[in-house]
Amino acid sequence: MMNAITLERVQAIVARVAGPARSPAAPGPDTPLQEGGFWLDSASVLEVILACEAEFDVAFDPEMDFDEHALRTVGTLFSLIEAKRPG
Amino acid sequence: MRQLADLAAAWDARPWGYSRAVWTLVLALDALPWPWGEEILARGFVARAFVRVTRLRRALAWAGAQPSTRHGVDGATARHALGGQRRIGQEAGGLRRWSLACSVCRHQGLFVARSALIGVRDPEALRRIVVARGEEHLAAAGPGAILLGFHLGPAQSYLVLRALGHQLTWVGGRGASPAWAPSIRDRFQREHGDLFYPGRAHVWERRLYKARQLLVRGEHVFISADGGGTEAFSVPLPGGRASLGAGWWFLRRNTKAPALPVLSHLEGRTQVVTIHPPLPPPLADPALDTEACREAIGTLLAEHVKQFPEQCYSLVFGLPSDEPPRSRQ
Repeated sequence: MMNAITLERVQAIVARVAGPARSPAAPGPDTPLQEGGFWLDSASVLEVILACEAEFDVAFDPEMDFDEHALRTVGTLFSLIEAKRPG
Repeated sequence: MRQLADLAAAWDARPWGYSRAVWTLVLALDALPWPWGEEILARGFVARAFVRVTRLRRALAWAGAQPSTRHGVDGATARHALGGQRRIGQEAGGLRRWSLACSVCRHQGLFVARSALIGVRDPEALRRIVVARGEEHLAAAGPGAILLGFHLGPAQSYLVLRALGHQLTWVGGRGASPAWAPSIRDRFQREHGDLFYPGRAHVWERRLYKARQLLVRGEHVFISADGGGTEAFSVPLPGGRASLGAGWWFLRRNTKAPALPVLSHLEGRTQVVTIHPPLPPPLADPALDTEACREAIGTLLAEHVKQFPEQCYSLVFGLPSDEPPRSRQ
């Protein structure tokens, strides 16, 4: 059975990787993954991506998917995952 | 002799971090027979240190922080041999410090020349001036190993290993220098699938994602441990500290691939690339894992610095800029 993709679940993954020290007080869909938001470095962003792949059973194409917009905020990451979901 | 069109292309592709003056010199010296260009650039870097005295001061500070070594006159030996007179001993120590500082500057010039392969015309000429040691460790590690480079000694160890027949993918900012002879670029760079993604967004996410896939498939990747960007941990060394990045650390912990440190130094004109036994396997507890790696890498680097203090330019002058700041890890 396919896992439902929700913004909350994506946000929970990001918060788990960032840890309490880096997570902002009131994150939302517009919270940046990196500077000014969760302050994730490249390795941590990738950790989020791999966790999302495992959790939502999707596969990314780094050539096409890892652009400035898609990995900007929790909301844009959520949209990217939704777009990758088959069917 | 390099074609004019190729020279113009090389000029236009001046790498990030090279001044116009140095790049002009690099391309001009390439016309000379090897190793004349290398030697001229090395001497030029010593002369430059006396003009830009900040560099000389840094080199002297570094040299002063090193315990007595094989380099130049050993202070303790000189004191003993000369009857233990303090003044003479201090002079000998001062000489040693100056000698080491000048040698650091000279080696930086040599390494700049070597990364541009100045005067090296073809793959065969390259193979004649490089050698690898410790290849048995890579063979024993099995498929899918992380080769972990350091900015201590001449760069581009991945190129040396590739020239000597090893299959690997380079993960990092600067690949082939535009100054390389076209035949070397064709043989050792094109079609090797190296992970650069220059000028693209989220460049390190792309590189690490692909590198992870390669490791899982059982292929070897070569990545710098100390390439700048986010620091995983640091290792204290005499006269400085080595900052180890988060990229290789992520790959090692995520894939459980064996990580083999690779160090490089010059012996005369020969670049020696040494593959060391793998770091301890990843531990579940990141803090314990960090400590285990810090100890293993610290021991290795301290020994390298002790043996080749004149070749540790990154600890003296800082890491070279492999790519624009926005692309760092």
